[in-house]
Amino acid sequence: MKNKIILSFLLLSSGAYAQVETPAKEQTKSVLILNGTAHLGNGAVIKNAAIAFDKGKLTLVEDASKIKIDFSVYDTIIRVEGKHIYPGFIAPNSTLGLVEIDAVRATRDNDETGGFNPNVRSIIAYNAESKITTTVRSNGVLLGQITPRGGRVSGTSSIVQFDAWNWEDAIYKEDDGVHINWVDMFDRRTGKANENYTQQMNELITFFNAARAYSKTTHQQEKNLRFEAMRGVFDGNKTLYVHADFIKEITAAIHFARKQEVKKMVIVGGYDAWMIPEMLKENKVAVILKRVHSLPERQEEDVYLPYKLPHLLFDAGVLFCLENAGDMETMGTRNLPFYAGTAAAYGLDKEEALKLITLNTAIILGIDNSTGSLEKGKDATLFISTGDALDMKTNNVETAFIQGRLIDVDNHQKKLYRKYSKKYEN
Amino acid sequence: MKKIIFSLLVTLYSLLGNSQETFMVNGPHNKNHNYYAFTNATIYVDYATKMEKGTLLIKDGKVISVGKKVQLPADVVTYDLKGKYIYPSLIDLYSNYGLPEVAKKKERRGPPQLESNKKGAFNWNEAIHPEIDAGSLFVVDDKKAEELRKLGFGVVLTHQTDGIMRGSSALVTLANEKENEVMIADKVANHLSFNKGSSTQDYPGSLMGAIALISQTYYDIDWLVNNNQVDEHNISLNALVENWDLPQIFEANDKLNILRADKVGDEFEKQYIFKGEGDEYQRINEIKATEGQLILPVNFPDVYDVVDVYDALNISYSDLKHWELAPYNLGIVAKNNIPFAITAADLKDKKVFFKNLKQAIKSGLLEEEALKALTYSPAQFINQYDKIGSLEKGKLANFIITSYDLFHEKNIIHENWIQGKQYIINDYNVIDVRGKYSLNVKGKVYDLLVKGTATEPKGNIQIISNKEGKSDTINIKVMIKVEGNNIALNFNPNDDFQKSTIRLSGSINHNAVIWDGNGQLATGEWVKWAAIKGKNNSSEKEETSPEELDSLIVPKIQYPNLAYGYDSLPQPETMLIKNTTVWTNEAEGVLKNTDVLIQDGKITAIGNDLIAEGAKIIDGKGKHLSAGIIDEHSHIAINGGVNECTQAVTAEVSIGDVINSDDINIYRQLAGGVVASQLLHGSCNPVGGQSALIKLKWGSAPEEMKIKDTDGFIKFALGENVKQSNWGEFNTIRFPQTRMGVEQVYYDAFIRAKEYEKKWDEYVALPEKERVNANAPRIDLELEILMEILNKKRFISCHSYQQSEINMLMHIGDSMGFTVNTFTHILEGYKVADKMKKHGAGGSTFSDWWAYKFEVNDAIPYNGAIMHQQGIVTAFNSDDAEMGRRLNQEAAKAVKYGGVSEEEALKFVTLNPAKLLHLEDKMGSIKVGKDACVVLWTDNPLSIYATVEKTIIDGAVYFDRVKDEQRQKENAKEKARIIEKMINAKKEGSKTQPVEAQKQQLYHCDTVGE
Repeated sequence: MKNKIILSFLLLSSGAYAQVETPAKEQTKSVLILNGTAHLGNGAVIKNAAIAFDKGKLTLVEDASKIKIDFSVYDTIIRVEGKHIYPGFIAPNSTLGLVEIDAVRATRDNDETGGFNPNVRSIIAYNAESKITTTVRSNGVLLGQITPRGGRVSGTSSIVQFDAWNWEDAIYKEDDGVHINWVDMFDRRTGKANENYTQQMNELITFFNAARAYSKTTHQQEKNLRFEAMRGVFDGNKTLYVHADFIKEITAAIHFARKQEVKKMVIVGGYDAWMIPEMLKENKVAVILKRVHSLPERQEEDVYLPYKLPHLLFDAGVLFCLENAGDMETMGTRNLPFYAGTAAAYGLDKEEALKLITLNTAIILGIDNSTGSLEKGKDATLFISTGDALDMKTNNVETAFIQGRLIDVDNHQKKLYRKYSKKYEN
Repeated sequence: MKKIIFSLLVTLYSLLGNSQETFMVNGPHNKNHNYYAFTNATIYVDYATKMEKGTLLIKDGKVISVGKKVQLPADVVTYDLKGKYIYPSLIDLYSNYGLPEVAKKKERRGPPQLESNKKGAFNWNEAIHPEIDAGSLFVVDDKKAEELRKLGFGVVLTHQTDGIMRGSSALVTLANEKENEVMIADKVANHLSFNKGSSTQDYPGSLMGAIALISQTYYDIDWLVNNNQVDEHNISLNALVENWDLPQIFEANDKLNILRADKVGDEFEKQYIFKGEGDEYQRINEIKATEGQLILPVNFPDVYDVVDVYDALNISYSDLKHWELAPYNLGIVAKNNIPFAITAADLKDKKVFFKNLKQAIKSGLLEEEALKALTYSPAQFINQYDKIGSLEKGKLANFIITSYDLFHEKNIIHENWIQGKQYIINDYNVIDVRGKYSLNVKGKVYDLLVKGTATEPKGNIQIISNKEGKSDTINIKVMIKVEGNNIALNFNPNDDFQKSTIRLSGSINHNAVIWDGNGQLATGEWVKWAAIKGKNNSSEKEETSPEELDSLIVPKIQYPNLAYGYDSLPQPETMLIKNTTVWTNEAEGVLKNTDVLIQDGKITAIGNDLIAEGAKIIDGKGKHLSAGIIDEHSHIAINGGVNECTQAVTAEVSIGDVINSDDINIYRQLAGGVVASQLLHGSCNPVGGQSALIKLKWGSAPEEMKIKDTDGFIKFALGENVKQSNWGEFNTIRFPQTRMGVEQVYYDAFIRAKEYEKKWDEYVALPEKERVNANAPRIDLELEILMEILNKKRFISCHSYQQSEINMLMHIGDSMGFTVNTFTHILEGYKVADKMKKHGAGGSTFSDWWAYKFEVNDAIPYNGAIMHQQGIVTAFNSDDAEMGRRLNQEAAKAVKYGGVSEEEALKFVTLNPAKLLHLEDKMGSIKVGKDACVVLWTDNPLSIYATVEKTIIDGAVYFDRVKDEQRQKENAKEKARIIEKMINAKKEGSKTQPVEAQKQQLYHCDTVGE
């Protein structure tokens, strides 16, 4: 009979307190997590859960009180009574690893010059060793869609997991989609109507027309990198992410995508999306909803409208998830769980709110076959929190696994905390 | 084609002679001292005195007499004005007529301009040029004059509308004569504004800077006047002294700027006359209390184009409200007995002046008040009623002749007489040929209808053809030209009679009943023609629009006039909150099932089973009551810039001068449980401006929001912002550019302050005899404030990040003798917590911000916990309008990061900021005797699931979740009602303006400019 090791968090994380957080090794030993409250990410909760995984994949997700468990098959058993288990949270539309310090130009790699850059790929600039990422995953955010910004067609995003030696290592889904910033109808700084709207729209249409024609054949007289990068948008291999917040921009974008025979389109931002749910549903357009912790855009709107948008979209039956682009977004990624928490405070069921940063995100990003919820066969990307992870008061990530690998949840900030706490102890 | 505009202005100046005695004359002199009499007119001698069938007699540009029985001398030219009206011509006090255009400031990209670009013995600041003398710059500009004459104006007060201290104005008539003749007086009034205009100098870079600059300049002239031995000769300041006793006209525009300007005036015992912008109704009581006279425009906003529902979403509630209410402004001002004059300034299209004025009259302005505001009041405001403003004997012969009452729907201004000279605007001698005629050309008869105006008639001929049983009506345009009794017509009937143009010329006879003459056909054939007026010549219906009876009811004004503004301000109530969980922030800790009684704005009892007669009972079961949230670091509710970045030390500026009571974020923060905020200057210089401590009394005017009888605070800042690290390549000049330089700025400033204090002490200590002759030191507002810091009357909140600089400032404090009250942001406080403790500084930090610039690389979310554990009074602040409304969530992060207890964590946003702001004896905890500034939450206030049910300030409910929802519905209804009104206005032909998106004006520490 094997020696059973019943481990506490501290023993498990013996790798912690290393100088720099080191990517974890492949999972070689099976793990069973017992007696915790598992929030599956698909809306369901198991109060007394038995969750097991091996070789990076979930092998068991059950109610511990309803099944008989053969403890002998697990190398490690972790008892987490009173604690909570969540699938790893996913941050879509993120610039983590592209921007380290907002004000320092040399550390910004998110915004290429030029208006039409679909061929520009975020993945190769992704800094797997960003100090910010380690502070994000220690709040439960374990995956992200690394997204370029700027211009009309910003570039191509990729989805990464947050424990890697380098960008190749980090790739979860490479080149998942092309991002465009929809033409503003108003200058949001001056309030004036955009005088160049028609011209800018024509540029966009001309570009898409040309790229679409190009995509119809593979034998080109000369290769065009931009058009090559657009191919996936027309054949369904890439999602078209349209960044637009206001109602006329969103409706214009949906008409545009339909006309351009775009296979899969997602609205990013979507502040006004709640006003046109039927159109979104008819056209199978999902929404990556802008930061919940925002001010209303209009004076007379419900002061809590940004907090209530998730509830409104949910009631309308729109498929959507949450993101946090905006001011100080890289460091703010660690607050993604609390956007879901606020959504729950303003009307949404807590498990539904959780879906907005787990399964719904995975579905929208096209990675739900392997992640986004705690279901047998999916990746063992999950974490254990001592309390409700959607509430800042109780979010406390003790242990986290990415694809079964036990990752180091320490970070630069915790180290400084320990260093200076010690200073004052003396 | 030669266009003959016979209807416009025929100036007769050459006939009427000149009176410039001092000038040389070329050719025979042409003196004219004739009398001119205007008889049988209805004469408004002044705004209140109407005389029927009166006679006005003038000579040499002056009124000789006016009355019912005026003896006419022999050498008189008489005009019979039967049925017509005479009014004193109108006066506009706000004009730049005849003055050179001021070059518009170009968008400047380049290094800062620290000094004035104006060379010479002038003031140090380019926006202070009181020496500009409109009188010496003025030249007659007949084209501009004509535009105003057409509206009935005869005199304007003109000044160069540029800069903060703009100079003096000249009173000129709008006659087309030599400057010497039209100028009634120069140096009539002195003009100011908050707008630095064409000055390219950096300072002042904000509204509060402009306010400070005016105050400092006033102190400077006081110093100049009261000291004999001042070495400096300053033409600008001398001019200001010289013009000190003139009426002072302040272009304030915005209603809150009127209050701001008045505050400056009060300090120096100067009552300004305010030029407003038409939104005075929104703060009418406060504006009345200024006791200032007003100069008000009649420029009402155009209708928004609301055809597109989605576009209409973008129009803000306040813009809609103002569109509807703007025409009521003058009536409201008049009803409040505030003296006011009306100006045509601000109107892009001057032609709408009377249209808008009539709308104001329909909206409650009495005609007499309107006339007073255009004649008597403007003259009176500038002490010139002895010369202008009425038609009494000896005054200037400035009057207008009109067809009806001045404000009548159909009124036409016929003539505008200025200084006894006639300017014809709509010649009343023109024969009005409008009507229906039978036109006979060589036996062919046409039905001619003449419409248009008397001076510009427009003809139309209807030809009814009957082809194949179908009748068809064709309208043919007829060009008509009337010159005296001559008339000419051109038209092409294109019928069986003629296929090309018929041209007719002839005379108008018998009171325009018959026209006849000769004409020529296209063939060259000459023909006879005649037209006879039909019997029913009033074919045009009376085009008077039905009076809207309900237009006299003023639509609801909200306080502030925005969405969620109150109809009336919340009042303190007696309230008993029952059976709730009370987070006392006192030794008692968290009390369950407890009652809290609020009376007269105070917390009067805490306990079980409390009873209070007449108290409103609030069921607190399952809910939590906490002290209201206090934000130590906020930049909401500020107008005109949060930073005066232009100098390293700007202690003289004050956020208290620029509080914006109209910021929707006040209400939004109430909805997040915030009751009070420190509104801080930004962080772009080592010594920023003074702060304002306010309670978020939404609906109140700025002064009412301020917390009274409390210590003053000031913003200091360190690090990247003050050394302009992230400001681009041009900003590498202003000292300091390194942390090393920052230290020297402080030493220099405080040493100067100490020396300044010493100078004053020595001066005050002089025996009185000596003191009278000695030079007093010059009052320096910047050093005065720094002195307050040294004397512990003002306290520092210092923006700070890195330990080195934090340490540095504490050293400066220790050596200069002051304590840094609060390090705000203080993200590396955890590294020097022991030193801060020793120095006595508090820390107000962010819960978890970092990585946004290089200096916050070592910021950690555990900072608050460590500082707290080291015994430092620790707060979490927002610096952000968004975060400000959920500071309870931020406080909870102290539990997450560093394990602070929930009770202590809540104090991070309540009691501790109260302590840092020296408000802890009034606020910050639930204790008998403290101000009733409390929040009722649905849940544990540190939980993300907690929402605000009620926010109470001084015992008045400022936010109530249920009422908020009602208000949303009311707002939506109100918006829909006004939009419907707009749609109708658009249908009726009102001019529209395109919709603009609403913009968020949010300030952060590092926001430069507006």
